[in-house]
Amino acid sequence: MSTETFEHFMTGGVSVLVGTVDADGVPSCCRGIAIATRDNFDSVTVYVPAATAGETVANVATTRRVAVSCSHPLTHETLQIKGVTRGVRLAPASDEAFVRQRLDEFAAVLDEIGLPRRVTRSIAQWPAFAIDLSVEQVFDQTPGPKAGTLIR
Amino acid sequence: MKLAEISRCFQGVIPSVVASADANGIPNVTYVSQVYLVDDRHVALSQQFFNKTRRNFDENPNGCVEIYDPVTFQAYRLRLRFLRSEKSGPLFDTMAMRILAIASHTGMEGVFRLVAADVFEVVKVEKVEGFLTGAPVGDEEVSPAGFRTELRGLQLVSDRINRADDLENLLAATLDALDVYFGFRHTIVLLYDHALQRLVTIACRGYGGGVGAEVAPGEGLIGTVASERRILRISGLNEKLRYGRAVRRSVMSDTGSLHVRPEIPLPGLPDAQSALIIPLLLEDQLIGVLAAESRDPLLFGEWDETYLGIIGNQIALGIDRVSSDESPAQATPQPHEPPVVRAIPPPPARARHTLTYYREDDTIFLDDEYLVRNVPGRILWKLVGEWKRQGRTAFTNRELRLDRSLGLPDIKDNLESRLILLRHRLREKCPNVQITPAGRGKFTLDVGAELDLVER
Repeated sequence: MSTETFEHFMTGGVSVLVGTVDADGVPSCCRGIAIATRDNFDSVTVYVPAATAGETVANVATTRRVAVSCSHPLTHETLQIKGVTRGVRLAPASDEAFVRQRLDEFAAVLDEIGLPRRVTRSIAQWPAFAIDLSVEQVFDQTPGPKAGTLIR
Repeated sequence: MKLAEISRCFQGVIPSVVASADANGIPNVTYVSQVYLVDDRHVALSQQFFNKTRRNFDENPNGCVEIYDPVTFQAYRLRLRFLRSEKSGPLFDTMAMRILAIASHTGMEGVFRLVAADVFEVVKVEKVEGFLTGAPVGDEEVSPAGFRTELRGLQLVSDRINRADDLENLLAATLDALDVYFGFRHTIVLLYDHALQRLVTIACRGYGGGVGAEVAPGEGLIGTVASERRILRISGLNEKLRYGRAVRRSVMSDTGSLHVRPEIPLPGLPDAQSALIIPLLLEDQLIGVLAAESRDPLLFGEWDETYLGIIGNQIALGIDRVSSDESPAQATPQPHEPPVVRAIPPPPARARHTLTYYREDDTIFLDDEYLVRNVPGRILWKLVGEWKRQGRTAFTNRELRLDRSLGLPDIKDNLESRLILLRHRLREKCPNVQITPAGRGKFTLDVGAELDLVER
């Protein structure tokens, strides 16, 4: 998969899901708000709302394992990134505008498919935790017979 | 918290999320196309492909599903423990039906299908606190009075079905009552034509036309209901079609478009968000299909499925009743009843049309436009022929039943539905030629144009 393809999933309007697991092997999930990379996808930073990500943050502190699904709601094109947590931090104020912009872009896509902004604008977004992770594997997860293909 | 309290989260309007983990503690997270509410302690997840999530549950039975209220977007988490996979039985059939219908609609039969219904015990249900800031938007209490109104509506619809004295009135009254009492603005009735082996639209409401449109059993949502003979209720239709199209694109990128059947256009609303489609059955015999659709993704609930099922049974019985009132067995010749001939007044300057009957494919064209085919076409050809040759304008159902050249079957000939179809087609395409009911088993042919008849 090309760099352009990865970038396609780092744009606005993408649905971000985060999966983690605790020390007993019990999985958990939560919605992310935004995802970004600064080193050509060797690592990514996933932003999760502090209000709902308590369990996720506790899990990554314990097991460090993270799965992130990035999906375009209109086409269902989906990537799954698997990696190991480098660190979890409270996202700095300098990231707030970026996180809010990403939620706005996601809400615009949902509005297009029938979920109005008056509903989505109340989704919790800030403050947020930033989970930095090293990318180990990337899978094509677009629904279909090729779902699950390792692409990096 | 009980699952019944959040039942609308299971309508599938907003896709749910499932997290699993393998034996080594590596998590996986993905959307799941269907979370089905089995009972207050169990849910089932649809398994279309043998994917990573499925393999993880074989290694580690723990799971977490996040579901969303389609009105407020409030999130809830279900802590699950995998119990078993069901590959047959009522639960499997119900879940498979929805997927089969979407697969058929998007040309993906066989590729995109339910492999198993994975059943889970729900260990815990929790509201995701803090997911929304402020009070939920648009949440409304459902009043029990609504159910009472619908029960009253059910009674009134039944009453109208029972009072109808012919098929056209029965269908029109039923669709009108569904609109008035239940708010179903867009409805279609298709009857199964055994000779054609297709479903033919015989009545519709809310579309401004469409009578005569055909669907083959097994094709698309309506065709799937006919072939499976099971009720189909789908919410969030656009979302599910997008999912089907994603699978379709994936397959096409592998095999090329030559191996993929074209998508079947939805009959009716192009932007329908939900549909409730029921088979009309008399014992095991397929009579037809009643389809209702809406732009509201939540218009049809479980309750609608139940009472529309009851109405469907009544419609099927009503169709059988009005069709049996004048069965072919009663159509004995009555030689003392001379054919009625109306004096044809000298026509004023009138429109002129050419009706062409193409024998090879049994179709009639009005000027250069397709009008009607098969038995309704042969009936029209007989009527206009006798009008042209003898000036006849009055006809009876009985004489049509006795005319072997029309090819009506001896039993269950559906003559009345064929006449309704013909009347609608003429009304839509050729207002100068009309068939008008004239009492029980009688009708007139009213021609207000010069007609040239050509047979090829």
